[in-house]
Amino acid sequence: MKRKAVFTGLFIILLALPGLSYGLDDPAGLEIIKKVYNRPVGEDQEGLLTMTLINSRGDTRVRKIRQFLKDFGKEEKKIMFFISPADVRDTSFMNWSYDEKGRDDDQWIYLPALKRVKRISSDSKSDYFMGSDFTYDDLGDRHPYEDKHKLLREEEMGGEDCYVVESIPREEEYIYSRTVTWIIKNKWIGLKKEFYDEDGEHLKTLKVEQYKKIKDYWIITHSQMHNVQKDHTTDMLLEDLEVDIGISDNKFTERMMKRGVR
Amino acid sequence: MLPLILTGLLVSGSVSTAFARGVTLNGYVRNYTGILIDEENEYSIIQNTLNLDLVHSKSRIAFKANPYLYHYSDSELEIDLREVYMDIYFDNVDLRVGRQQIIWGKAEGVFITDIVSPKDMREFLLPDFEEIRMGVTAFKFDYYLGDHNLEAVWLPVFTPTLFPEEGSIWRPQIDYPVSPRYDYSEKEVKGSLENSEFFAKYSVITSAIDLEIMAGYAWDDDPAMHIRKQIDPGSGEIDSITVTPRHHRLSIAGSSFSSTLGPFVFRGEGAWYSGKYFNAAGAAVEKDYAHYLLGLDYTLWDINLSGQFIQQAIMDYDPKIEDDEFNNTMTLRARRDFMRETLTLELFSYLGLNNNDALIRPRIYYDLADGFEVLLGANLFVGEAGQFGQYNDNDMGYFKVKYSF
Repeated sequence: MKRKAVFTGLFIILLALPGLSYGLDDPAGLEIIKKVYNRPVGEDQEGLLTMTLINSRGDTRVRKIRQFLKDFGKEEKKIMFFISPADVRDTSFMNWSYDEKGRDDDQWIYLPALKRVKRISSDSKSDYFMGSDFTYDDLGDRHPYEDKHKLLREEEMGGEDCYVVESIPREEEYIYSRTVTWIIKNKWIGLKKEFYDEDGEHLKTLKVEQYKKIKDYWIITHSQMHNVQKDHTTDMLLEDLEVDIGISDNKFTERMMKRGVR
Repeated sequence: MLPLILTGLLVSGSVSTAFARGVTLNGYVRNYTGILIDEENEYSIIQNTLNLDLVHSKSRIAFKANPYLYHYSDSELEIDLREVYMDIYFDNVDLRVGRQQIIWGKAEGVFITDIVSPKDMREFLLPDFEEIRMGVTAFKFDYYLGDHNLEAVWLPVFTPTLFPEEGSIWRPQIDYPVSPRYDYSEKEVKGSLENSEFFAKYSVITSAIDLEIMAGYAWDDDPAMHIRKQIDPGSGEIDSITVTPRHHRLSIAGSSFSSTLGPFVFRGEGAWYSGKYFNAAGAAVEKDYAHYLLGLDYTLWDINLSGQFIQQAIMDYDPKIEDDEFNNTMTLRARRDFMRETLTLELFSYLGLNNNDALIRPRIYYDLADGFEVLLGANLFVGEAGQFGQYNDNDMGYFKVKYSF
């Protein structure tokens, strides 16, 4: 089935979503982004995500998350169970995102200390996720119409022939003034992405360290986001990845948020 | 017995054996030191805590035990099980049996439909909510149909609110004209099938709204104080007062919801209590009673803001009742993370609108390392009377050092 790249979760999304724009002046850029956005990545997915936060002194903090994703047709559901550090263990997070243009995600968090599932607003997509260098928007379902795209050039990177596409947010107050993405031809994977802040200064660079073909899908399994202004880095590693394993619909419920990853 | 088990686990090396059998062991160690802000700067509390979570699970069954140990500066030890229960999971049904905390509702820091687990009020509302809510022995049955959930709870034994002991600085102030004599002969609710408590809840989460509807046939966790006065026939003045605490049956029905609109999260919760007794000048008075709340959460400039307005209303009000007919309270929370979420500043306040009193709680959390947290905070009581003002002499600063593993 045809799937949006965003569905692959905390990896593919990063480079797959420079965004779409409709009716823009650069059809070539739009076509490339469409192919990235619609790249098939499976109906469901389970994996262990290890996020290592590295500061300018080289100190590291590690967060581990077990995540499940599933496509339900017009909506996609994701549930994440925090495994470490110890003080957030058993916290879980659920996100429902929708194909419908402009419709906000629905999000809930389960806090084991409160033993309660709490609905939260998905509006703050510019916030950083768990102290990492990834914003929720970097990780999540940024709808294509939110950016304008332009094919800048074609060039080789890491032995791969790439399109270089510039994406400019339509929203004036957005945290990025523009992004530039290197997309591998024929695989439709973003290999590198540069983020520029509101002043147009280079803010962050995302590099894909590894991608794999699992079943018939290209999936990014290792990437790094480097904040060049603050000189800190977030390393994201996706392991134990399984695709199209028939995850039950019931996995994405309040019941499972409370039960945990057992 | 429990200390022996704990000692056995911790000292004999059984932990590794337990791990080998598939039991996971997590928990935390914590020091909590509180200092009263007055001329003498006495310690209000020095407490060391060991809290353990032991969990074992297979595909359809699981158990959890949560023993905890409080060690105080006077060497007093408190050891208990906050939770110890078994789970069995079927396709659409979960059954949980044992001592457990059961938390309902959408309110923050306020207990409206969240009345299944009683409260430990020995240090007022200051401990973490995990520690305020007491575990209760219960049989909990959950039926699930997609995102719909029907929950039924049977509590075979009633557990009342745990109040501070005589002499504690957190003992609620009750003003009597003469020093009363307490008669506890009617306080106990004996364990029997007739004295059981029953609760039921339907809940659903949808894209538009999260909804809960609940009902309960319970005992009031807080005893009503029935007062008998002896009048001196000569002077006509009160000679003596006898206070007889007694728990009464309550019927409760309530609901709560939570929904988002753009950047806003709206929350509401309300309950109707039938059979509630209120303390009065003389015998406690039975009146129906409503307790409800509206709340709003919003993030502005990276600051998570939350506000709640709470009202308690006594129906068919009798002026002899000590509580006001309408009692209004607000809560406000502001919280912001810094330094990649390793530093958090928070301000949480209860504001009593009837008595112009308040509890103001500024806190700073800092993660020295993953799982190693230092908390600096203060509890500032404002006002002369009311739920918070009565503790005006108990302003305190405190720190907590916590290592989670």
